[in-house]
Amino acid sequence: MGFFSKFRKKSPWILHYNTGGCNGCDIEILASLAPKYDIERFGALNRGNPKQADILLVTGPVTKNCKDVLRRLYLEMPEPKVVVAMGACGHGGGVFRHLYHVENGVDNIIPVDVWIPGCAPRPEALIDGIVEAIEIWEKKSKEKEYPRNYDEEMRKNLGVDDD
Amino acid sequence: MIETMLVLFAPILGGFVYGLERITRARMQSRIGPPLLQPFYDFFKLMDKRPMMVHSLHALMGIMYFVAEWFAFAVLIFGNDLLIAVFFHVLAVLALVIGASSVRSAYSVLGALRELMHMISYEPIMVLLTIGFFLLTNSFNYRDILNYEGYPVLELPLVFFAFILTIPMMLQKSPFDVAEAHQEIIGGPEIEYSGPFYEAVYTAKWIEYIYVFFFVFLFGGSHYWLGILLVIFTFIFINLLDNSTARLDFRKMVKFSWVFLIPLITLNLVLIALWR
Repeated sequence: MGFFSKFRKKSPWILHYNTGGCNGCDIEILASLAPKYDIERFGALNRGNPKQADILLVTGPVTKNCKDVLRRLYLEMPEPKVVVAMGACGHGGGVFRHLYHVENGVDNIIPVDVWIPGCAPRPEALIDGIVEAIEIWEKKSKEKEYPRNYDEEMRKNLGVDDD
Repeated sequence: MIETMLVLFAPILGGFVYGLERITRARMQSRIGPPLLQPFYDFFKLMDKRPMMVHSLHALMGIMYFVAEWFAFAVLIFGNDLLIAVFFHVLAVLALVIGASSVRSAYSVLGALRELMHMISYEPIMVLLTIGFFLLTNSFNYRDILNYEGYPVLELPLVFFAFILTIPMMLQKSPFDVAEAHQEIIGGPEIEYSGPFYEAVYTAKWIEYIYVFFFVFLFGGSHYWLGILLVIFTFIFINLLDNSTARLDFRKMVKFSWVFLIPLITLNLVLIALWR
């Protein structure tokens, strides 16, 4: 915890990724950027770039196709970072649970720090979740973090060695 | 003394301009917007991130962009020569282009190519602008321009008009933000920078603000109040243009620059040369 760690809570940059949900959550995320809720007041920005983001906001029940993309996004984000799972699908699959093409929630792929319940959560709930994510983020260190079941095999499959 | 202070505190001053711009942009969209010191909060936060680099040349070129941009501004102030400062600015942008084209990311390479298109569009205008000042004052020294008794903005109206339409190309604003298209190629040349290295690229942009608005200030001549009014007008105009227009194709940008703006400036310069 140095001098610069105090400024973390002032500028959380969000990376938003939809892993195959119905886009209801995504509409709420964009609503919270719009004039009425305006989360840029608190310095939060929606960056489309994992390399410059701090909070990974995941919606949807991770489908088999975007499983590896989600892992890569997680690995590309520099620490300290937090993962927020938003909506019922992100928690355990929601209405898609136990279908042939889903992984039943974000926590099976990457470790999740904050859960935002609801289908779809209201913007107030989203802002509340972000605030809680910032509290966890402030305590984190710069140590490297990995997805679940991370090993050499996955490293090869994701192609992160070539970068 | 004031010149040394201006050069030393150029990034800090630029940060304030950027913070003010973010507030202005938010108010134009009827939002409240971030606090004035928000760019500095971002700066300190990025300082605290784990440094991840693609390869060392890429990271070095990001830092070079910041250093060269600051150096270009120092040359503008201490070197007493507008023309040389314009060429040093080319070098600074070139560092960004080299860095961006040295990685495998397609977005980064595409952004680097578009950044070159930006340079093709605005550098001739910058050179013609300094020639315009030379025709008025017979000197490339900015002090002679700031001691010039007339009103450069009234004698070079078309040059000023062309220059404020060039600023969106230099500062990556809509409608000419083709290199940094945030929804399309997510930042372009800066996409692969992260943590402290992104910070260098981020801060270099603040110095670019000071660099550009200094040129606007020169249009006031020895009337400093006019210079300040022009800077405020340009700031509001640029933000209004940024908020109300959509992004154009890069071909349209180059065409607009070479078919419309450069002939306009040339006309003004020919008239000034004939009149003198």
